[in-house]
Amino acid sequence: MILLALVLGACGFSPGSSSALCGPTGVLRVGLLAPSEGSTSTAQSFSDAELQALKSLLLQASRCDVVLEPLNSVDRARTSLSERRWDLAFLPPGLTAYAMGSSAGYTSVRSLGSSRRSRSAILVRESSHYHSLQDLQQARIGLLPRGSLTGFYLPLYNLHGLNLARVSYALNHAALLAMLDHAEVEAIAWDEALPPPSLAVRRLHVDAHVLPLGAMVLSGSLTSSDYIAFLRALDANAAQMPTGLGYAAGVLPEQQAIQPLKAIVESVEAWQLPLDGQPYRVYGAKAAG
Amino acid sequence: MKVPQILGLLSGDGSRPLRQQLAITLAVVFTASILVAVLLLDQLFAWQARGLIDQRSGFFMDSMLAVREYTSKDVNPIVAPLNEGPGVFRPEAVPSYSATSVFEYLKQAKPDYKQYSYREAALNPTNLKDKADTFETSIIQSFREAPSTGSLTGEKVTPLGRFHYVARPIKISKDSCLVCHSTPERAPRSQLLAYGDSNGYGWQLNEVVGAQIVTVPQDAVLKAKRQSLLTTALLLALVFVVVGLAANSVLNRLILRPMRQISQKAEEASVTPASVSFDEKSRADEIGLLARSFERMKQSLAISMQMLKDRQKP
Repeated sequence: MILLALVLGACGFSPGSSSALCGPTGVLRVGLLAPSEGSTSTAQSFSDAELQALKSLLLQASRCDVVLEPLNSVDRARTSLSERRWDLAFLPPGLTAYAMGSSAGYTSVRSLGSSRRSRSAILVRESSHYHSLQDLQQARIGLLPRGSLTGFYLPLYNLHGLNLARVSYALNHAALLAMLDHAEVEAIAWDEALPPPSLAVRRLHVDAHVLPLGAMVLSGSLTSSDYIAFLRALDANAAQMPTGLGYAAGVLPEQQAIQPLKAIVESVEAWQLPLDGQPYRVYGAKAAG
Repeated sequence: MKVPQILGLLSGDGSRPLRQQLAITLAVVFTASILVAVLLLDQLFAWQARGLIDQRSGFFMDSMLAVREYTSKDVNPIVAPLNEGPGVFRPEAVPSYSATSVFEYLKQAKPDYKQYSYREAALNPTNLKDKADTFETSIIQSFREAPSTGSLTGEKVTPLGRFHYVARPIKISKDSCLVCHSTPERAPRSQLLAYGDSNGYGWQLNEVVGAQIVTVPQDAVLKAKRQSLLTTALLLALVFVVVGLAANSVLNRLILRPMRQISQKAEEASVTPASVSFDEKSRADEIGLLARSFERMKQSLAISMQMLKDRQKP
């Protein structure tokens, strides 16, 4: 018996060790963004204790060392997704659409966030002389960084064909509103799910698409492994997830709602995209939206 | 088996041939020696394995410090101006980014390093990925409370097992670091767009803001120790087997074979003493001494037998 124990010990026998769900680097790299776009930053959305609890839960469910990367910028998150630096990510709707595109190749497995009927809009000051999108020719526009549906992809898609004098970026809609207030820009991107702005504004355009919720996505390497037990463990402990994440146990994301948005994201991504503080001509092939 | 029997078995009670007795005694002595040696070496190798891992961790951290220095001195002046422009933020200008990236490449290039993890944890990092957890925060606080502390080592327990760690403080020693970490107003706009304005600011010169931490699974330490121990124990066993065989052969050649020959001659001498010669008497050792004694005994026996014969003559 002793000899058997020694032999097993020497062989590194450890029951259940084969069921660890890790990425190709041997750890589970997890990206985390606030599920709603441009309202609060990730740092504000989740407390340190919630982040610790999430990391601990992911570690226990995957049995793999977890590298958790909370990000405030959708643009940096987009880069991480395009370079497949994450094995799992909690994403807002725009990045979910991007992640599910053919270039990133992620699969959405769980719905995130709460129902808020998000729609993309373009706001101008109440007193401005702009009355249609066409009036924004040579205007200065404020957008959220690349990666946001309400603040980047849909506004640019709707402004197709215009020459803009300058495109400026801000991390959230509040900062965009401040830019509009300080007359740094003539129009800004807006999310209709947000509370009415304190500034006197007018809606120049509201996009017809109602945005789906965000999603938890898995990389191709994880979906090719047996990830069902991992999902079950997360579902069983959904109460330990940060409340702001809105993790819906057992709820699959709305694939039908995301498909047309995915096509829009892919077509805008194919354009030459604007740089901060630079003029920009909104030009490129459009998907049938 | 009782104690006197065991002692008799070890010391030799004359119940077995000498060769068997020697084999038993040597086997017991050697087995006990190996067990004692393994117990002592177990401690020694554990200490050595930890030392090796600490040494390697120290080398990693020195290398990463060199990478940080290179980035700070040579890469940052080229890349940082790009971050002032309209493009996206280039993290390649940030020393901690380059250090952690180089470490990842190192792990990919050498599978031996895969078990090592390297973190540059900070209490208030720009990139929230580097935010110190509870354990890392306690280490950083230790460095802040005792700024002269060069490094800390120890063990930590996680749901994945026990880990050995080595940590060193990250201190802000250059004013250039404060461009990105003093106030959001001083930081490049691209950095604000990439990481926001709520974290990674308010750092002070000469302040310990974080720690370099290398962790290795304790299993790796134990595995290294077990391998060394197993190899040494096998070598010891091999050496003892060789010594045992050599001792047996020497015993046979020097003692057992001459004794058997003397014994055979003594039996012949008891019948016909004149026909027997103890040639071993010329040897200078104990066998020679024994042979000379038998030779004297043989001569005495021959004289006695001759005297007996002479008395019997009419």
